[in-house]
Formats: sequence, structure tokens, C-alpha cells
Amino acid sequence: MRSSVSYILSHAPGESVMSHPDYAQQAQHHACLLVLVKGVGGMLKNFNKLWERIQRINNIKVTDSSGQSRDIWVRYVRDYPVENNDWGDFQTHRRLLGLITLSKFNNQVELNEVCRVHESLKVKYSNTLYDSRAFMFGPNSNMKRPEQEPETYSIFEDDKSKAGSSDKASIPSEQADSLSSAESFPQSASSGASIPIPEENFTTPSNFKTHAMFYGENDPVPDLEHNVAELINSLFWVVESRRLERSREKLEKVSLLLAPFEKKDFVGCALGSVALPLPQHVPEPRVHVVLLLHHAQYGHGLIYRPWASWLDMESRNNKKRCMGRVTKNLADLTLQAGLVTESLSLYHSSAEILKSVNDWLWLAAANEGLCAASAIILYPHLRNPTPLQRNASLQESSPNKTKPLSLFQAQSEPFRKFKTTSSPIRSSKTSSPINPPSELTPSSSDSIDTSSRQSETDNADSESLASSSDIEYQSQKSLGPELPSIPRQSQSQVTNQYLLTVDDIDVRYRNAIIDYSKYQNAGIIETEACFKAARISVEQGNYLLASGFLQNVMFINLTLSEQEKIQRFDTLAELYKEIGFLRKAAFCQRLAATRHVSHNNPNPDWQRCYYLMLHSFPGHKLSLDPNYVMQHQMGWPVLQIQLLHELKEAARRMGHPALATRHVTFLLQTMWPHLSLQERRDLAIRLQATSAQCEGGPVPLVLETGEVIPPANLTHVPQCSSFGPRPPPPARAPHLVKCKTQQGPFIFTPIHFGSLERKSKKDEGKMEYLWVEDDICEVQMKLTNPLPFELKVSNMRLLTSGIVFESIPETIVLAPDTPTTVNLHGTPKEVGELQILGYSTHTLGVKSNCRLKSMPMPNKFPASYTIEVIPSLPTITIETTVAPSGNLNSPSEDNVGSVTNISLYNGESTECTMQITNTSNVPIEYLDLAIQSNADTQLQSKVFQWSNDEIQSQLPIVPNGTALISMKLYGEADFLDLGGVGGENMFPNSLTSNYPSRVGSPVPNAQTSLPTQSSNPQTSLSSGLVPNRNLSGSFRSSNSHTTNWSAPISVMPPSRGRQIETQVIIRYSGGKGKEMHCRQSSLQINLELLPSVSITHWDVLPAEIPSQLYLVLDVSNLTDEEMEFHYAPQKRILIESREACRVPVPLPRCPFRAPASRQEEEMENKSISTGTSTNSLELMCSEHITNNVALSWRLMQSDISGKASVKGITLSQAMMDIVRMSPLNWEVSVNSQCIKPQEEYSCTAGECLSLGVAVWNHLSRPLRRLCLSVQFYQDYNNGVLSYKLDNRVATAGNNKVLLTTLPESAKAYHECTVVFLTPGEYKIDIQCSTTEPVLDDPAPLRDSDQQSLIQGCAEVSHTWRFIPPVAISVSD
Amino acid sequence: MAVCVAVIGKDNSPLYIGGIGNDNGTDNELSRQWLVHTALDALEERLATTNTNNAAAGTNTARTDLRDLYLGLLYSTDTHKISTSPSGSNIRDAEVRTALRRLHALYADAICNPFHLPGDQITSPKFDKQVKSLMLNNV
Repeated sequence: MRSSVSYILSHAPGESVMSHPDYAQQAQHHACLLVLVKGVGGMLKNFNKLWERIQRINNIKVTDSSGQSRDIWVRYVRDYPVENNDWGDFQTHRRLLGLITLSKFNNQVELNEVCRVHESLKVKYSNTLYDSRAFMFGPNSNMKRPEQEPETYSIFEDDKSKAGSSDKASIPSEQADSLSSAESFPQSASSGASIPIPEENFTTPSNFKTHAMFYGENDPVPDLEHNVAELINSLFWVVESRRLERSREKLEKVSLLLAPFEKKDFVGCALGSVALPLPQHVPEPRVHVVLLLHHAQYGHGLIYRPWASWLDMESRNNKKRCMGRVTKNLADLTLQAGLVTESLSLYHSSAEILKSVNDWLWLAAANEGLCAASAIILYPHLRNPTPLQRNASLQESSPNKTKPLSLFQAQSEPFRKFKTTSSPIRSSKTSSPINPPSELTPSSSDSIDTSSRQSETDNADSESLASSSDIEYQSQKSLGPELPSIPRQSQSQVTNQYLLTVDDIDVRYRNAIIDYSKYQNAGIIETEACFKAARISVEQGNYLLASGFLQNVMFINLTLSEQEKIQRFDTLAELYKEIGFLRKAAFCQRLAATRHVSHNNPNPDWQRCYYLMLHSFPGHKLSLDPNYVMQHQMGWPVLQIQLLHELKEAARRMGHPALATRHVTFLLQTMWPHLSLQERRDLAIRLQATSAQCEGGPVPLVLETGEVIPPANLTHVPQCSSFGPRPPPPARAPHLVKCKTQQGPFIFTPIHFGSLERKSKKDEGKMEYLWVEDDICEVQMKLTNPLPFELKVSNMRLLTSGIVFESIPETIVLAPDTPTTVNLHGTPKEVGELQILGYSTHTLGVKSNCRLKSMPMPNKFPASYTIEVIPSLPTITIETTVAPSGNLNSPSEDNVGSVTNISLYNGESTECTMQITNTSNVPIEYLDLAIQSNADTQLQSKVFQWSNDEIQSQLPIVPNGTALISMKLYGEADFLDLGGVGGENMFPNSLTSNYPSRVGSPVPNAQTSLPTQSSNPQTSLSSGLVPNRNLSGSFRSSNSHTTNWSAPISVMPPSRGRQIETQVIIRYSGGKGKEMHCRQSSLQINLELLPSVSITHWDVLPAEIPSQLYLVLDVSNLTDEEMEFHYAPQKRILIESREACRVPVPLPRCPFRAPASRQEEEMENKSISTGTSTNSLELMCSEHITNNVALSWRLMQSDISGKASVKGITLSQAMMDIVRMSPLNWEVSVNSQCIKPQEEYSCTAGECLSLGVAVWNHLSRPLRRLCLSVQFYQDYNNGVLSYKLDNRVATAGNNKVLLTTLPESAKAYHECTVVFLTPGEYKIDIQCSTTEPVLDDPAPLRDSDQQSLIQGCAEVSHTWRFIPPVAISVSD
Repeated sequence: MAVCVAVIGKDNSPLYIGGIGNDNGTDNELSRQWLVHTALDALEERLATTNTNNAAAGTNTARTDLRDLYLGLLYSTDTHKISTSPSGSNIRDAEVRTALRRLHALYADAICNPFHLPGDQITSPKFDKQVKSLMLNNV
């Protein structure tokens, strides 16, 4: 876009170059009247408010002389360099036309000063200033208007005196005049100071000729808008008059308009170059003189002057040039005067003219003007960025227009005078604005009148022209006073052939800029044009084009102050931002920022530098929020890192260490993945150094601009690889008091009923376990220090929400690159839901709140962990004491795994005391003891015994109180050694296996040697060896053994030691949550049961008296010590270790009628077979024996004593007969002499003995088919019994009698006679048997039929015998 | 003369930046990156308009349109974009276009590496070498 010509052009001096670019300029400003608003004197409190109010009056409608309404636009500026004013001819909108001062004074001196300043401002801009207003704010609210001289408008004097010369810059006389008036101010001010004037009576200096308004400082200034509008109105009329004046100029005589630098070049050219012809005619001699001074500096080195050829002023080209420039000037004025459409054609024609003479600079200006005017029409909304406000202000001001006007007129005499002299047309209009000031000469006012009249007459014509729009305006034609004033139409209807299309604007602007670029001195104009063009392109939405224009700005080589350069970048950035070129904007911002603090800048401004860099974040795809940056890793890390480094430096330099720390933290946090190991280390060290000045905290920092820098939290240092709350330890874990009942029969079902609901309810962070209020809870995390040096992390806490949680700070030191497990603790202080959001750290001088949801990517944590906290529960310690061994178990804190080991011999009992101490502040109101062991419940309940009532009576346990629970332990065991049950030997334990049984069923074989003396049972028992083991074994049915009583499986053979592992579970609760939850402590008791004694074999023997019997036991001592075994009162025996002894235990026989209830039960089962009925009998007998045998033992060395029992003893049928009381009572007499037990009867051979046997039935029922038999035999005392006594014994009478029935309590008597033929030892076996099955009850029937007795023997199920057999010794 | 070649991923991340010249200092490297980064805005805008153009009028018009503006965007695929930085380049269009075509071929070769993950930085030394020689040849 840029022309290379610019490099050829000579460098221009700085003075005449417009050196203060106005970057804010827009295309529509071409149509604006420029008004300077300045505060003068003391600072007004409401200056800004007033400034805003004034700014709103940027558009007023004025009815011109032809009755057309014109839109007049105003641009207010606060400051305007007077150099730029010099370009007013080149582009008239650069002229400062109006001046408004807002001044404050308190006394006359100040008033004078204020007036002086105002006047001097007027002088400063005297070249272009048309009118001014002074708003004076005095100390009082109801100020009288100070006396004031009528205002003089110097500009109209100019007009008057100028007489054709449009270049006011070349009129020194007026300048001198106004300057002299300004110089007179100090005098008046000093005079004012010397003479005290009452405050109410201020007077303005005599030479203060401005129209001034006086208010109190706090007055609302209701007529501000009106006054400003009035000023604009007056400005308009001047502009309008200038326009008309210009339009009436004769084209042949117009002078050449020059841009400021052209004048100098022109002069330098004329004087310095011999090659060029001297100008024949210099239009502005004064300029010539002034500029001669500069000729030495330049003038040589002039290579190419585009305008050199038109130095020939008389030439045709020069004429055209003058014409073109004037036309362009007129176009500018027309545009400013509100005639936009007219200006289009003027611009167009001037561009045509200038093009033909290669006057590029002015051609560019004409093109730009054309673009501006087109843009104004195409984009009307650009002009009023705040249309609503403007309208409001207008509505406010326009109705007031007439009223203050009249008020004003009352005060101001000259206006009234003028009003009277004004034309009737204008006065007739009610909405007419005030007329040009009184100084306007009648001639000029006439001229306006005529022109307006003319335009009125042309009105119809021009309207038709506009509508047809095919008649071309010749520039020469239109230049005349007959310039048609096209009635204002709505812009959408405007159709003008010169109106540029959207694309044309771009092209024209581009051309204009290229043309400008040919002139080094027009750099500012070019820059501004670029900005204006860019703004239009933005409006068009053509962003690439806009960026092209903006790009061009960068290449314009201007000598600017640093400040202006910064401004330029700022504006560029602003526009780039507007078109969405954020990177470019960021680039410009960064350049501006570096300019702020560059070495060339005399006063570096770190603060602005900082803000610029901060605002360039979006361009670098950075966000202030570190979490956002981390989630969207985008942008260029290298540049981002660089920017952050610079930002930190700027923050530090501007004296905000907290920000510096924040930015370094941000850098370290967000750029972590892009940093090398070394960079990380360096950065960490730098962060440490930075934070030494100001510690970083997790709080947002608010800047002065109101921007908030969110906190940056270091989640990379240290890195957290796992994080999770821990369930409370088992001893403190709460359990439900009542276990939930299973909902269905299925523990697990693969079918998800209503799976959708369940999934939606599923909460990732919801913990299954509970935490307890006031209880220390734990969160476990794994941290890694990624930095190569040791990292100290202090004050680590948990971040929670929900209920109150007291976190316990933790300080750790992490070695490099070693994952460390850290537990954070805390105590919930309330009941409810607790959310654990993360943790906080303090490391490298920065406090960070590391939230789980913003953790760096590789770790997936839920946003929070939710844990339910239940009301506090008590805690206990348990102390166990085992008496009497004193096996003490010290109290352990958590009561977990505290193991009590107890050894007990079988049959031994001991007591275990548990002391429960309440260590919490909550009373224990519920306590429950349960036992779980590997033994079955039956055994368990026998081994462990405690009283629940005793426990409950101790409740509640107050805090720090204790309770004692005593538990009895008993070494329950089966002392009968049943080892080998089910083998071929059916009854290994029975004595019958080793010794002859005298109770074998076949009566003839039944023979026994009853021990007569029980003092030495072992010997007596051992004497009887069993010859007929098999026979004796047959009567014990196997099922009687197994089904009748079955020992618990867990009851091991007593010969081996057993281990019972037991858990005592103590459930306890208290406080508020006791209904729902309890705690559970368990206590392990390992009980070892050692074998003590075992009974390997047993048998029963009838005792000497019928009411008693002997239970003979083979007792073996299984301990390693000598044992004293008590088996009967006052009877004991010492058994060596591992030895066995046989002991007879005297017992009463089982009473016939054993428990009645049992009898009743059994009655119902009469039809059951004998086997079963005998079972119940056996059971009864077994129980009888068990209950009556009291065995105890004592170890001699260790003085441990215990008990033993024969529980579960099995008895055969024969045994039972012995055990049980006989149902029959015997009375045997020999020769009518009653035989007593153990008595021996003697007789001689051949003697006749009469043997009488009487039987009583003691049963509750009659016995039937009872067979009473008497048999004689000889006992050889070697186990052989001889029944073959045919020739030794002779009997008279039956030796067998069959009794059909023996009623209850009845007596049967039988008598026979016997003669022993040979001497010897004889024995009589008297027995009674029944063939009838014995029913359950001990009520066998007795058969008296002796004959059938033998046969029936085989079937005999029951036999009662007279014990002991009657022994008769027969002598010669 | 071409001084810098950058391959930019579609998510605005530099995949490769290679510069030549005797200025191996970090400052120059950094400033080159600033420039390339800054040039991306226009590229982005161009792509946005290209896409709309493609939809409307077809590729050819878009391409000629692009060639006019000296920021030569010549190829665009859905995974990567290639551009030249316009700064100080005096090479004629055709040359740039050939150079970029070759660059594209090199890029295609580089990402043919089965171990290369699309979107990762290009670390291939061969690619680097070839790109640098390409730049030097264009001097």
C-alpha cells in the first residue's frame, strides 16, 4: 500500500509537520465542528459531569436561511494542539472553531485570571476560532451577573478585514490586536487585586469580551445545553457564511491553498534551487518572509518535488490546482455545514481536477473526504454512538430554545438590536435559532439572505435534480452562489451518483493512503487516515482489509514522542481487538508496554506497562484463571511464558509484590508441562524469592481498575497422585445397631431393577462409610515432590464444605521424586454431610488451595468426596484379666487385635474379667456382648458364660467411668474317650471289650465274678477275662450309640488339645446417635483346652446291696503331672502322669420311675420297636449316672483342679439292667431261711434243701409270660462254669415255672427241693425272664411257662437275675 | 529470504518452528515466534473466509483471492495449516508456492512416521534439516 516515493522525499522539519496525531479520529469527524472545552482556574467539582452534558450536545438541527433543516455535528475535544490547527486549510474539520471554558473563581483576582486565560486561549486559536463561551462558576449560587462589555467577535473582524483572502494564518494584524488585548490582562488582574471588591460585585476586566455566563458552583446550570447549542448555532452560521463565500469566489482568481509543509518546501524550493524557475508570483509574501529563515536547512537535496512543475503559477496546471484545492476546501465546508450530499459531488469534482494535475496530497484529501462523506451516509449510526442520550439532551434543549432566548435577549441588548434588524423571514420562524451575531455587517447578512433566497427559489429545481440524479454537476457550475441546497432526505433515500459503494470506499481510501504516503510530512495525516479507514472497514465487517490498513500504520515512519508511540500502539490494539485479531492486539499491547518502560522513556511507567500486558492475555490465549488455562492448553507456551515473566517483572517494579508472587505462581502452575526440569527448578527458586517479599495466598487480588486476579494454586508442587478419605479404624467404625434385614432372598442379583434410577443416583464421591462427630478422621494422600530439592510443605489442611470441620495442620518435608504418603487429619464438629474438596498447602512461600476438581489431568479425582457424619459415639478401652492365673492383658488403644490367650485343662474353669473404660465424653448407654468362635454354639455357651443382667446393671457408663464384665470359662469336654468310634470294634471303650461280661444274654453263659471287695477294684476286675467277647458285644446295638446321644462335633477326643478361637464382640453406643449406630470392639480370646483325664473304658457292676451299683471306669491321666483323682466322697486315687487307673464309683441304682415327664413322652411311642424304647431308657440311665457321678481331679504340682464327667456314657442293655433298679424283688430262702447277699450256705451232701423263691413285681403294670428258672452250676473259678450237674444234683419240683401274669405289686412264690449228691461248691442261678417284649416302660411281662423258657431264651429280651447267686457249699 | 518456517496445529499450538540465520540467540528466536504468532490472526480470518468461500463459490476463487494478499496461505487440510510469515519476504509468489509445496511434502513425510501422534510437536531431525535447507535454498 505504501508508496516507495516516501523514501525519496526529503525529510521535513518537525515544526510544520503536524506532529500530534489524533488516533481517535473517525471518518465522520470530517463533518464535525471542532470545539475545545477547557477547564480553567480551580478544578470544578462537577467538571466531568458538565463535560458529559456538553458532549451529549453533539448534534443540533439548524434551519438555514432557505428554511432547510441542517444536521450540525460537533466534536468536542479537551485539548487541541495548535499545530494541528495549521492543517485547517487542508482539512477544515481540523480547525478549532469554538471554545468553551468552564472556570471557577472565588474572588475578583481569580476571576481576572480566569478571564485572562480565556482570552489567551482565544488568542492561541485566533486563526480559526469563531466564537467562544465562558461558563463562570463563582462562590455564590445567586450571583449577579457581573458587568460585562459587549462581546466582540474577532473572527468577524477578520472576515471583514480579510476581504477575499481566505488564509487567516497570514494575517498578523489581527493577531497583534488580540495579542495586545491579552497582554493587557495582567494589568487588570493586578488592579483587581489591589482594590478589594465586594464579593457580590464581581466585575470582569474591561478587555474580557467573551460571552460569559455566571453560576454558583453548585448550581444545576439548567441552560448549559441551551448555551452550548447557541454557540454551535453561531458557529454554524459562520461556517455557512464561509461556505457561501467560498462558493461565490471566482474560480479564476482563487489563491492556492497550501498544506503547512508545502509552504516551506515551496519557499525552500524557490530559494535554494537554481535549476528550478523562481516563482513568478508568490501569493503570500508574508509567509515568504517568515519562511526564508528556514531555507538554509533544506532546499538542497531536493530531488523531486511533485509540485515543482506548478511553480509556474500562471500555468494552466496551476490554475487547475488552485481550483481543485478550493473545491476541495469548499467540499469540506459543505460537509461541515451539514450538506453531506452536496459535499459528495464537490469532493468528486475536486478529485477529478486534482487527479489531472497530479496533486497527490490534495487528491488524497479529496478522496478521503469523499470516503468520509460516503461513510457518513452509509453508516449514519456511526455518528451517534449514544443515540438515546443525545435525543434526550435534545429534547431537553429544544423546547427550551425559545424561552432562554428571550431571557437572553432581555439581558443582551445587541442581540435584541440585531433581532429587530433581522429579516422577516427568519424572525417569523418560531424554531429558528439565533441569528449570526450583531457584528455581522449588513452586507454579509444581506448576502446570506440573498443566497438563501436564491436557494429557496432553486429549491424545486434541486429537488427534481436530486430525484432524477442523472444531471451531472459540473464543478465549475456548482461552485457559484447558485449552489443548490438539496433538501435533506432520509439517508436511505439518498441516491447520489457520487456516493461511493462499500468497495469504492475501500479502494479510494487505499488510494488516498498511498498518495499520502508519498509525503513524508503527511505521515500524521496518513496515520489518521489509516485509522479512519480501518474503522470504516471494521464497520463493513471486512476485517482483513481493516488489518491491512492497520498494518500500514506500523510502516509509517514518524518521529513521535514515546507517549504518542504508545498511544499509537494502544489504538492499534484497540482496533485489532475490535476485528478479533487478538494476537495482533496482544502484540501491539506488548509493544506499547515495552515502550512504557524502555530506556528511551524518561519516565517509565511500570503500572501502565503492567496493565497493557495484563490486557494482552486474550491474545496469547491466556486466561487469568489458572484452571481454565490448564484445562485448555492452547496458545504458544514459549510466548506465554515470556509474557508471564515480563508481567511478573512489571508487577514487581510497580511495587505490587503480591501480584508478582501471584503471576509467578500462575506461571509455574499453568506452564508446568511446558517447562523443562531446569526451568521448573529456577522458577521455583524465583517464586521462593518473590514470595519472600509478599506471601502468596489463595485469595483473589483486586486491581485498582477493578479487575480481579483469581488465585493461582500450586497443584504441581507437590504433585498429588492419590487422595482419598479413609474409613475409621475398625474399633471406631460405627455400625448399625440393628442390622438391615435382607430385602430379598438374593444376596446378589444381576438384574438391575430400575437401573436408570440407580445409575442417576450414583455419586462418585459418596463414601460408603461414616465418620463420627468429634472423632479424628483421616484422609490419605500420596504426594511427590517434582523439584530437585527438598521441599517443605507446611500447614497442610483439608478443604471441606458442608458441616464444620476442624482440620489439623500438617507439615511435611518431601524428598525429591519420592512418593510420600501423607495422612491429613481432622475432626468433624457437626452432624451431617461433609464434602472434602481438596487440601491446602503452603510451600515455596505460597499458600494454595488445591481443589480436587482442578487437579492436573493425569489424576482423575471426583470433584469432592462426600461423607456422612453421624453424632458422636463413645469410645472405650478394654482391659482383660484372667483369674486366677493373673494373665493380664494391658489395655490397648484401639482394642483391635488384643489377644488374650488362656489355657485350660478339660474340666477346669476360670474367670475372665473385662474392664471397660469409657474414654470419651459420651456416656455409654448401650452395651452388648456377643461371642463368635470356631466352636459350635452349644459348646460355646458351655465354655463362655456371663450374665447379661450384670452388664446392663452397670449402664450407663459415664465418661471415664468403668464397668466390669466377668465371664466364666469352663473347659468343657467329653471325657469319655470315644476314639475309634465306628471301627470294627464297636465298643472299644466298654470294659466288655476287655473283660468278660456277666450279663450276656444267653442265660446259661451268664456268669460273672462279682468283686466282693471293692477296695481293690483293679485286681478284681482284671481277674475276669472275657472268653465270650463276641457274644457280649452283640447286645449293644450300634444305633444306641450314635443316635441316642451324639456328641457335638467340636467336642474333640479329650486326649488331644483343642484350640477355640473366640472373638468377644462388644457393641456399645451412647449419646444422640445411639438409636442408629454403635461402635464395636472385639476382643480375641484364644482358649486352649488341654487334655486332663479321659475315661477310656467303663462298665457297671452290681454292688453288694441291690440298691447300689458300681460304675467301673478306666481313667487315664493325660497330663504331665501326677494327678489326684476324686471319684467318690472320700475316695481318691493318685494317677501317675500318662497312667491309667480303674476306679469303681459306687452309685445308687437308677430309680425305676425316672422322671415322670419322660415316661409320659415315651408312652406315646408304644408301638415303636424295642430298640428305640431302650434308647430312652439308656438315656435316662446315662443321665442318672452322669448326674450322680462327681469326678474331680487335681494336679499335684500346679495345683490346678477341675472336674470330669461321664456325660454321654453309653450303656448296653445288660448294663442298664444293672444300673436300673430291678423291677422284681427277690426273696430267696433255703429251708425257709432267707438268704442274705454275700452269704454262703452250707449243707451236707444228700441233705434235702427246700429252695423258695418269691418274686414281687414292682412295676406299675402286670408282667406277662414270666419265666422263673432256677439253675445249679459249679464255678470253677477259672472262668469256666459247669452246668452239667446231672449226677450231682437232684431236684424235686420244677426248676422252671412259667407265670402267665404277675400283676403289679403281686407276689409269686415257687418252691422246689434240691439234694446235692456229691460234696462241692454249688451255685444257684435264679433268674426271671420274659419273652414278651419289654415295653418302653420298665414293665416286662413275665411268663410262667417254664417249658418254653429255653426256647424263648433266644428271644428273651429281658432277664432279671438274683444277684449275687446263691452259693452253697456241700460237704460230706 | 525465508527466515522462519512454522507449522501450526489447528488448535493454535506450534508444531514446529525452525529459523535459519546466524542469529541463534534466544531473543531472535523469541521475536520470530512473536511475529509468527501475531500473523496467525490474519491466517485465522483468512481461513474463516476461505471456508465460507468454499461453500459458496469453490476453492479456486478463494485461492486466487488468497494469493493476492501476500500472506500466502496455499494449502489447508483439515489437520494442519501452512502459512508464511509476510515479514520482509521478497520472494515472488511462485517461488513461495513451490517452497510451500515442498514444505508440505516434507510435513507429510514427517507425520507419516507411525510413531508420531498427530497434534504432537514435530521433533524429527530429518524434517528439521530438510526444512532448514529448504529455507537456505530460497535465499
